[in-house]
Order: sequence, then C-alpha cells, then structure tokens
Amino acid sequence: MNKQTTAAALALALSTGLAALSAQADEMKEGMDKSDMEKCFGVAMKGKNDCKAGAGTTCAGTSTHDYQGNAWSLVPAGTCTETASPTSPTGFGQLEAFEEKQS
Amino acid sequence: MTQHLFAAALLDPNRAAPSDIRTWNGSDPVRRFAVYRNNVIASLIEALADTFPVCRQLVGDDFFRAMALEFVRASPPSSPRMSDYGEEFPSFIERFTPAASVAYLADVARLERLRVDAYHAADNEPLDVTAAADCLADTAQLPLLRARLHPSAGLLRSRFAAVSIWAAHQGRGTMKSLKIDQPQQALVIRPSLDVEVVPLDLASWTFATALNRHETLGAALESTRQTHADFDVAQSLGLLLRAGLIIALQPGMEPS
Repeated sequence: MNKQTTAAALALALSTGLAALSAQADEMKEGMDKSDMEKCFGVAMKGKNDCKAGAGTTCAGTSTHDYQGNAWSLVPAGTCTETASPTSPTGFGQLEAFEEKQS
Repeated sequence: MTQHLFAAALLDPNRAAPSDIRTWNGSDPVRRFAVYRNNVIASLIEALADTFPVCRQLVGDDFFRAMALEFVRASPPSSPRMSDYGEEFPSFIERFTPAASVAYLADVARLERLRVDAYHAADNEPLDVTAAADCLADTAQLPLLRARLHPSAGLLRSRFAAVSIWAAHQGRGTMKSLKIDQPQQALVIRPSLDVEVVPLDLASWTFATALNRHETLGAALESTRQTHADFDVAQSLGLLLRAGLIIALQPGMEPS
C-alpha cells in the first residue's frame, strides 16, 4: 500500500472516529442535564456547603452556621424546595440565596 | 542485628527469631516475633486477595491463600504501597505447578493487575476533539503523527478467554457458556472515574500495541496490515477513540 492510500485511510478513519466521539460527548452532556443536580440554598450544615463562587475559587466548606441562606449544596433536582430549612422564610431550601429570617 | 536477618526471619518460619531482640515488658521475644511474623504474612496475603478477587474465586480461598503464601515468601514487597504489591504475581502463577491445571489463571491475574494499575494511574483529560480535527487539515502528514495514550491504559492478550472468564465473575455471562481456549484481547483503561475492560479483536489489539510502542499512525497501520490484511482501521480507531485510549495526536519526533 502506498503512502497516499495510507494517508487517505487514516483521514477517513480519524474523521469518522472523531465525529462519533463528539456525538458521544453530546449524548453524555444531555444525559447529565436530565439527571441534573441543583444548587440548593439554606440546607447545608455549618462547614458542609458546596461553593457559591465560580471555578477556581474554594469556598466549599466555609459556611459559618447551619442552614446559612447564602451557602448552597448540590442536591438532586426537584428535592431542594422539599428539604426543610429552619432559616428559610418558606421553611424549605431555596434555589436562590435568601435573607435568613430572624430566629 | 542487621535488618537483613530480621527480614529473612520474618519470611521464613524455619528460621529462629533474631536472638538479640528484646521486649519492653518482659514478655517472650520469640513469641512476640512469631505474632509479628504472622501479621506480616497474613496482611500481604490479604493484599493479594484484594487485588486478585476473581483468581481467588476461581481456585477457592484455601488454594489461593496457599499459593499467595508461597509468593509472599519468595517475593516480599519492594514498595510500601500495597496497591503495587503483586506485579509479578501473574508470572508466579504461571510457574506455580499446582495451578497448572487452571491454565488461564495467570491471564485472569494479569487482567486484575491491569485493573488495579489503571485505578491508581494518573488522571488525564480526554482527547481534545477540536484539536485532533485540526490534524485533518493536512492529511499527507497524518501517517507521521504519533498518538499519546492515556496513562491508565494497559493491553492484555491471552491464549484463553480470560476476559470472558473475568466478566463472568462480574455478573456478565456465565462460565458454562464460554469457550475457555478462545484467545481474547482487551484494553484496560480508566478514562474518568471507572476502570473499564474493553474487549478488542486481535487486529485492533495489534494496532493499539503498535501505537503504544510509539509507532507513527502510518507505521502502526502498515504493521497491523502485515498480519491482518483485512484490517478495518476506521472501525478499530473508532473503537479505541471511544474507549478514550488516545489523548493527543502529536507530530513526528520520538518521545524522549
């Protein structure tokens, strides 16, 4: 087999392979979206929160008291507003940071 | 007392305990040494049992422990990391006459060893598909590229159905339905969190092994075609890409 056909065979193989790979990546992304987690404010125990700020920051585990209203935890989607939060005005976790009610 | 004598006595119960050891509380040093010796041996056997669970199931606990004991005495660990222990266990099994009737045992051990190695190997980002697609711009250069493989990747080739035998012990398929002396190959890899065992046809294994030897894509394709005239490089490369084997395509130069 000469060099040109080797190159052509590899080009075909790589392009189909990469196409399949990005299709697979898209599928996985979709799958992730469906079985999503959501950020839930006001349900983490002191020091057990995930993080509020973006990538590159480490504020996970820095909440200073239980059920802190501006600290969140990742919870399975749909369960947040069913999780009790004594500091929350609604009595449950919220999808946005909230002002804690005075106890 | 030298460390050497102490270590030798630990591994060989026929040797007397070192004569110059003392105990802090007046108990019998020989008995205390015997307890320690027992703990050392038992924990090393336990480490092997953890790394090679399917082998243990295949030959039964008693046989496995007896075999492991022989190995521990012949090859004590050279690293403090117990996950590394037993690199030579598969080849020991191959030479271990009492296990000769279970001819596939050594290859199943190789597979289990590759899995533990993959589990503890470095993480790596998957292939950047966009960057790899850029290589398609100049197809004449493609045969000269080399693939960088995932650090966790290991390749297994067995004269037996070692992959199916292992899978049958993970609840996939049964021992009864498989042909023991059907040669099998596999790629063991941990692309993200989980170790995966990907069965490979012989041509794909040959191609992957050539890439692993840092052959260029062109040379790997040519050498695979020499033994497998009908090699389907598209099917094979697709399989290896989906498995996460290739993490980068790089031009020319031998890796240093």
